[in-house]
Amino acid sequence: MQINELLLKNFGKFHDRQINLEEGINLIHGENESGKSTIHTFIKGMLFGIERGRGRAAQNDTFSIYEPWDNPNYYSGTLKFASGGKHFRIERNFDKYSKKAELVCIEDGEVLSVEDGDLRMLLGEMNVDRYENTVSMSQRNAQMGESMAMELKNYATNYYTSGNGEIDLNGALEQLKGRKKVLENEIRMEMSRKQQKREKLEQEVSFIWRDVHHLEEELDRVEEELEYRAGKEEEKRKERQLEGEHGKGVMDEIRPEKWRIHPMEILIFALVIVTAVLILSRPWNYLVAIVLFLAFGLYVWNRMKVGKKQVKTEPEIILEEITQEEEKVPIEKLRWEKAHITEELKEKTIQYDNLGEQLAELDEINEQSREYEMKRQAVQMAAEHLEQLSGAMRGYLKRDLNEKASAIIREITGGKYTKLVTDEKLHVSLVTDEKLVEIEQVSRGTVEQIYLALRMAVGELLCEEEMPVILDDVFAYYDEERMLQTLKWLKAHKKQVLLFTCQKREEQVMKEAGIAYHKIEL
Amino acid sequence: MHLGAKPDAGNAYSQNREQELWDSFRDIITICNQKKTDLLLIAGDLFHRQPLLRELKEMNSILEMLEHTEVVMIAGNHDYIKKNSYYRTFSWAPHVHMICSQEIDCVELDRIQTAVYGCSYHSREIHDPVYDHAVPERRQKYEILLAHGGDEKHIPIKSNQIITLGYDYVAFGHIHKPQLLVENRMAYAGSLEPTDTGDIGRHGYIEGRITGKGCQIRFVPHALREYRNCEVKVDKFVTGHVLRQKITDMIAEQGMQHMYKITLTGYRDPDIWYELDYMDPYGNVVEITDHTKPAYDFTKLKNENKGNILGQYIESLEGYPADSLEYQALCEGVRALMETRRG
Repeated sequence: MQINELLLKNFGKFHDRQINLEEGINLIHGENESGKSTIHTFIKGMLFGIERGRGRAAQNDTFSIYEPWDNPNYYSGTLKFASGGKHFRIERNFDKYSKKAELVCIEDGEVLSVEDGDLRMLLGEMNVDRYENTVSMSQRNAQMGESMAMELKNYATNYYTSGNGEIDLNGALEQLKGRKKVLENEIRMEMSRKQQKREKLEQEVSFIWRDVHHLEEELDRVEEELEYRAGKEEEKRKERQLEGEHGKGVMDEIRPEKWRIHPMEILIFALVIVTAVLILSRPWNYLVAIVLFLAFGLYVWNRMKVGKKQVKTEPEIILEEITQEEEKVPIEKLRWEKAHITEELKEKTIQYDNLGEQLAELDEINEQSREYEMKRQAVQMAAEHLEQLSGAMRGYLKRDLNEKASAIIREITGGKYTKLVTDEKLHVSLVTDEKLVEIEQVSRGTVEQIYLALRMAVGELLCEEEMPVILDDVFAYYDEERMLQTLKWLKAHKKQVLLFTCQKREEQVMKEAGIAYHKIEL
Repeated sequence: MHLGAKPDAGNAYSQNREQELWDSFRDIITICNQKKTDLLLIAGDLFHRQPLLRELKEMNSILEMLEHTEVVMIAGNHDYIKKNSYYRTFSWAPHVHMICSQEIDCVELDRIQTAVYGCSYHSREIHDPVYDHAVPERRQKYEILLAHGGDEKHIPIKSNQIITLGYDYVAFGHIHKPQLLVENRMAYAGSLEPTDTGDIGRHGYIEGRITGKGCQIRFVPHALREYRNCEVKVDKFVTGHVLRQKITDMIAEQGMQHMYKITLTGYRDPDIWYELDYMDPYGNVVEITDHTKPAYDFTKLKNENKGNILGQYIESLEGYPADSLEYQALCEGVRALMETRRG
């Protein structure tokens, strides 16, 4: 692209001022306050428009600064340029009432649309940010903005692209991150669903376990009771046996259970007494009979006493009434209870085991979560892959950038510095004699030269269409030699250069070196 | 049968599915009574887990409804006879014979001149090929082997070996899908009802007739519902709404009583993705998997983006099969790059 003519119809201090620009170096010389910056701003405004600030910010924005001094409602200009072998004219009105932008192809009169991006296309997708960070350079803002580092990074992914929209790596990575989050959420949901199921089951298990525990206690109690009863029974049996061994005579054997004294015994006793009376001679027989009678009486009384002992007394009955009900529960019922509890316990135990199996089966991963997991992995892989590729591409870009910038700095420093390296954030260092020199360590002039080199290199990388280079008083810190080298480089490599200056040094140097230029005096 | 299992049958049917399995079994009793069947064989896994006493009582009372039919059954790997299993102590109705022994045993049914051989599982797995040498003892006119298993961990079998042993029929259980091993001689009846979402296709029982001339069997579909695998193909014009309609129509056509496992395939509009939870119009979709691919023409995209990251990305991941992780990553990455690009 080459700018051919500027017509400042009404812009800042200028009124109907026409400036013709040529190929090669255009030296625009003017004293302070002669309007160099106005022209600089005019070009930018023509190419990219001037946005009005809002509210208080509007008081000192570009729009207000360059609002024409007289007749502010008429605030406009035209710019003619050539691009791709054709000539175009941009006409803009900046004032708020008749604001418009027109783009016309001069050859065939075709009206193109600025809104639809025709102008942007002619400028090779250049936007104002890039413009200010590359080709348009003034002493005030030689260093490139932070945003350029990001743009370069993004640009790396579009390296060598031909049209077809612009890829936004960060956007894509953001989207993948979001997608991963969604999937992870799904996985979590699936897990929590499973967890819910598990908790429900575990609760069921715990209920059953409690039942089992309870039943076991119950069983213990019944068994203890039964054992106690059995012990008591045994004791009784033993007691009876003991009793039999000692007190049980032949009589006890013959005597019917219920009877305390067998009638036969009485009969025998009577017979013995009668016999004694009859056989023995008097009076001994009476004596013997009385003694015998007393002896038998004693025996009978003794027998009757044993029987009496077994009859319950009043306090015994009361005592029995207040003893626990359970003790009175028949042993049969206890046995039945035991069987019942054992059975129930078994049922519950089986249920418990079955639930345990079911719980174990829950651990098996189902199809759904596997699917989600695979998708998550795929997204992860995509993100990693993209990062890796973009890293590699950034590497290529950085290499190219460094090569280009190094070549420029070599020429303009006359071979003093031959290598320049940039990092991710576009911080620059120089390499001399295999030594790394930070930019803070070199002179102001060299710093400006480095930035110029970097801007030119980035501009070449980023812009498909070669743009005119606009330098606003950038040589203030350059020595004569470096300035000459720089101007030589610009003349050799750039189609069109607009050099604004308030000094005569540039002109002098070019004259001496025989570099052709087109001079415009403001 | 896997009674006691609670298979996933979709939102609409899962609740009653457990009961349905019992209902389906009860129907078999009715069929036996109608057809005056002589013998009902249950080849293991009658219950999904260890049966509870009440379940056995329930089962016994159902079997008591049989009027002409003898029942022979064994325990399978799911309801294997544990130490404390009720199978050991339960007393069945007189016409119900359970072979509880771990070694091959025999039930002789004089009335129908039949001897049924078989054994029960006493552990979850049996690696021994028990059936391969279980020679019938010629006790009755007709001899049947009632078996369970057939895979590596559950009594591996060699069907051509077993068939030479001389049984009139070998009734196999364990594999849920009905399948014929040897024509008219040996078969898996499959589960009466599908009891797992993996049990695709028809289920029922095997009806057979053994006479002096030999054995003849046929599979009779009986299951109230079946799981069906369905593939729904989409194309660029199928949106979520259209897809739901498609699924609705398909289910209405195939039968609403069934349960569906749907796989979405084909190439969808890259800008669309489907809300899968929304694709269950009747509550009988148990599973839906989205295998659709975005309708990107990767080759064309690659050629158009030679040199930039999209082109390089495609180049680095292309050539993997469609079900691989790499392919999915390719789709995801391309989608992200395409959807976020400017201009």
